[in-house]
Amino acid sequence: MKDAPLLKIEDLRTYFYSRSKQAFIRSVDGVNIQIAQGETLGVVGESGSGKSITALSVMGLIGAGPGVISGKVGFKTNGIQKNLLQDLEDYVKVTVKDGKIMAVSKDVVGWEKNAERVMSKIRGKEIAMIFQNPKSSLNPFTTVGKQITEAIRLHTPTKGDREARERAVYWLDRVKIDSPRLRFDNYPYGLSGGMCQRAMIAMALACEPSLLIADEPTTGVDATIQSKITDLLAELKSGLGITTMLISHDISVISRLSDSVAVMYGGTVVEYGPTKDILAPDFASKHPYTVALLASIPSKENIREKGYLQAIEGDVLDTVNIPAGCRFYARCNKVTGAIREKCEQREPDLRAISPGHRLRCWLYSD
Amino acid sequence: MPKTILEVIDLKKHFFQRNGIFSPLKERERSIPAVDGVSFYLKENETMGLVGESGCGKTTIGRTILRLTPATSGKVLFDGRDILAMPPEELRQLRGQMQMIFQDLDAALNPKMRIREILKEAITVHHKVSDAEVDRRTAELLEQVNLKKSKLSNFPHELSGGEKRRVGVARVLSVGARFIVADEPTSALDVSIQAQVVNLLRDLQKQLGLSYLFISHDLRVVELISHKVAVMYLGKVVEMGLAGRIANAARHPYTHILWSSLVEKQSRESSVTPANPRTGRWGVFDFERPVAGCRFAPRCPVYESKGKPSECTDPATEPRLRDPGDGQYVACHFPL
Repeated sequence: MKDAPLLKIEDLRTYFYSRSKQAFIRSVDGVNIQIAQGETLGVVGESGSGKSITALSVMGLIGAGPGVISGKVGFKTNGIQKNLLQDLEDYVKVTVKDGKIMAVSKDVVGWEKNAERVMSKIRGKEIAMIFQNPKSSLNPFTTVGKQITEAIRLHTPTKGDREARERAVYWLDRVKIDSPRLRFDNYPYGLSGGMCQRAMIAMALACEPSLLIADEPTTGVDATIQSKITDLLAELKSGLGITTMLISHDISVISRLSDSVAVMYGGTVVEYGPTKDILAPDFASKHPYTVALLASIPSKENIREKGYLQAIEGDVLDTVNIPAGCRFYARCNKVTGAIREKCEQREPDLRAISPGHRLRCWLYSD
Repeated sequence: MPKTILEVIDLKKHFFQRNGIFSPLKERERSIPAVDGVSFYLKENETMGLVGESGCGKTTIGRTILRLTPATSGKVLFDGRDILAMPPEELRQLRGQMQMIFQDLDAALNPKMRIREILKEAITVHHKVSDAEVDRRTAELLEQVNLKKSKLSNFPHELSGGEKRRVGVARVLSVGARFIVADEPTSALDVSIQAQVVNLLRDLQKQLGLSYLFISHDLRVVELISHKVAVMYLGKVVEMGLAGRIANAARHPYTHILWSSLVEKQSRESSVTPANPRTGRWGVFDFERPVAGCRFAPRCPVYESKGKPSECTDPATEPRLRDPGDGQYVACHFPL
């Protein structure tokens, strides 16, 4: 029998209320994703497609402000599947009048107490996260070593400072920081961007989490450092067999590291399946958005004329006024006469076109 | 034969680090050579790509050429006239022709002005124009950068990344720029939007005959958009030549490492074998402890494999940028 997945997200919806627009900004709008033990799932999409918000929802970090989360996030700890979002909906009251949302009131204290109760044993220990901007995610007032030690003392049964310190040095070494004992006492400003990123990874891994969420781990660093971070993640994956949810808009990184891919657009998953089916350049039946996204990468195969790229015209979906039909309809170049009406008026389902490969497009379903 | 629009001769920019208020009394301040003797030229209708890791002096070159930062020494000839030695009044008249697209448009666009006002300010800053003329120019600019008219009454924060970029380009065009320093114009944009911006820049070049100095650390984009590419390392140009040759037939070990570090070129299988020898080590360079001789030697695989030859580390024989005969300049004792 196949094991239950480590993480199973079912119909996750994360909305934010905009008072001026009297409507919800539907950042994540019905996401279904699951990650098996030892698997790396890549999540790609343009900015604003809901990748990071999905991750933050899983981590229980959407607390403050008028965020509304519904759905189920099943996470397996010690063999027991647990819903990380249980009862959260009870703390939110939405007042609707004439189809307009008049007010959203949220029992922030209750919400956070509940979230804290559920998450405090899991966040950092079971699910660790690497954030987008390592320099601003590390505390500038304490040394890198102290920050890692703190995480270790908090989440693992270490006996004393000394042992924790040894663990921290071990992990700094593991992520290939030169002279880890020296770097232990460095403040974040004394480290380069790439080193900060590696220190972040060390901190995340030091408590040996069962799931690692890496949010844009290679964005904003130089190409040379980028390839090294990717190398490191690949090595950790093969060495430790760690389960990862890798969020990036850099498709080359995703295609190299992940086993399966979820392509997100406008808060939903539009294509989901094994990496080799989705990101291979020659695979014929693909969602038009994935095709366009792959075509806009400046690589040898895509350049037809010097200096030009194949752009996706238009902008990322406005997640307040979500159209009735397919979310990609306005930018899609594959709409033909026969299905135009369907594309415009009805949203397609996520349909399987081959085992494990599902996509949301009228071209492949009826 | 297109004429040369910009010529940079031995440009230097050293920053000085002062240690406390008494430091001028001490023997000497520490000087950090952010740009250390860079020469190149740019023709009309041409794009020169400038690549290198962060901190190598790319942006400083861009700013110094436009005299936004005073240079330490050297010459910058724009249409044959030295910008660095120009009296301010004369420079002001040239300003319209040479412009910069800044890296961070959230900081470069005034958050309290509407797009209409931002463009109006740019149009009227160098010339006195009537309101009707301003409207006409604004409409023309919007057309050129392919921006919707409805966005004029928006504030910058209401625009998406790509749209902000377009406003930045429109503003530069409004003053009649012929030479544009584009500093990381596509960083922090999604690939789809990046493609739009790259196409826009390319279209404008064709229509208006613009010249670009395209600063970026995204090698793929630079390779695509530039005619020539200069590779910088620690304030020096280490290799310069045609874009295709730099990308595919690099002579300098550093250029080779840069391009082979592109993730897409490595296969999935090779990812498991650690320490790919071509990608070098995790060196982080340090301006404060300059290396004698070739600056790249400590990270250089050729230096290592040749058994650390002494000419690489001898300060008297620091490699100079030279042309081995085919127009691809390289500063290395042992070009690949």
